[in-house]
Amino acid sequence: MLPVIETKNKIRDYILESTFDDVENITDDTLIFEKGVLDSMGLLFLIEFLKEEFGVTTNDDELVVENFESINNIVTFLESKQ
Amino acid sequence: MTSTTKKPFSKDILHIEDIDTVCNEIIAKMRTDVAKKLQRRGAVIGISGGIDSSACLALSAKAFGPKNVTAIMLPEQDSSDDSRNLAEELAAAFGVTQTLVENITGALEGFGCYQRRDEAIGRVVTDFDPAVDKAKIEIKQDPASTLPPIFSITVIKPNGDVVSKLLPAMEYLQIVAATNFKQRSRMSMLYYHAERLHCAVIGTPNKHEVEQGFFVKYGDGGADIMPIGHLYKTQVFQISAHLGVPQGILDRTPTTDTYTAEQTQEDFFYQMPHKEMDLFWYGFENGYPAEEVGKVMGKSTEDVENIYKNMERKQKTTAYLRMKPIF
Repeated sequence: MLPVIETKNKIRDYILESTFDDVENITDDTLIFEKGVLDSMGLLFLIEFLKEEFGVTTNDDELVVENFESINNIVTFLESKQ
Repeated sequence: MTSTTKKPFSKDILHIEDIDTVCNEIIAKMRTDVAKKLQRRGAVIGISGGIDSSACLALSAKAFGPKNVTAIMLPEQDSSDDSRNLAEELAAAFGVTQTLVENITGALEGFGCYQRRDEAIGRVVTDFDPAVDKAKIEIKQDPASTLPPIFSITVIKPNGDVVSKLLPAMEYLQIVAATNFKQRSRMSMLYYHAERLHCAVIGTPNKHEVEQGFFVKYGDGGADIMPIGHLYKTQVFQISAHLGVPQGILDRTPTTDTYTAEQTQEDFFYQMPHKEMDLFWYGFENGYPAEEVGKVMGKSTEDVENIYKNMERKQKTTAYLRMKPIF
């Protein structure tokens, strides 16, 4: 498992690259779906990214807002899968 | 915004009181749009046996006279037989004698619609056998969830076994893109007949389909006029019943008639029955507080707020579908 800070940076970089958003708009606590940073296709591609980058597969029952709503939540989700 | 100056929210808030006037206004507008603005002499309409195309056919027959309406059934190998029977009953009910059946299966085979779709399904459900298995895509999440909806593929085996898996992005996109050949092929065929007859193509999407993006760009979204594009589904049912659409169509659960497994519009897109969807949508777009709507609908304020957020998100994410080419 990578250090948490590195994991956060990778996820943030991925979101910034896929949305062309400004770096100051995406903090670790930003509610990325509530704020409309990512939509449903964005979520699908994020799931693909987590699989490719971290080897983590998301199951149907894990598709809940608590696992994905912010970078912090995604990191917690990844940690729970290790 | 408060609802103090509006009618209190209620379950029958969408009921049309003066239905004759509403129908007559739609009919008058259809005549003006087709004859004056578009300078066409009648209507070509694809009929499926569903409520929306039935309402449009009924309105077209009233607007232009049955002899100036051409009703076209456009089945393909995955269409249900019920659809065709109901479409024939509908045309007869409104005296439309110019009916055609254009089976688009060959065109779809030429595009590779089925092969491309089935190949993508097979990458997710590896023992999928398109010759005997049925498949559909659906949303399984709670509509009150604040996470965007994600599609699953459901495969039904001949013995009734069901396999359901979350669709990865590339497979989801390929299945949708391949399936959209259906609506786009239908649009091409409708325009062939419309141009041959110097008529307008009547688009059948209702208000939800237009505003929540439940249509295919340049597919069923490709039309000259959309006479029910401002009506909630509940109102489409009310108008259809008023105009005399056959009971078999009024009683039918709205389906997509697009995938091999039976699939309601609720499974595929809306995540709740259309009557509920209509009321939440009305509340959302007219600024009714979530608390007021929740009391009437038996939902918590938080659930209604989340449903509103989902509606707003659907509007935003499907804006692309409603956009004209940018130049």
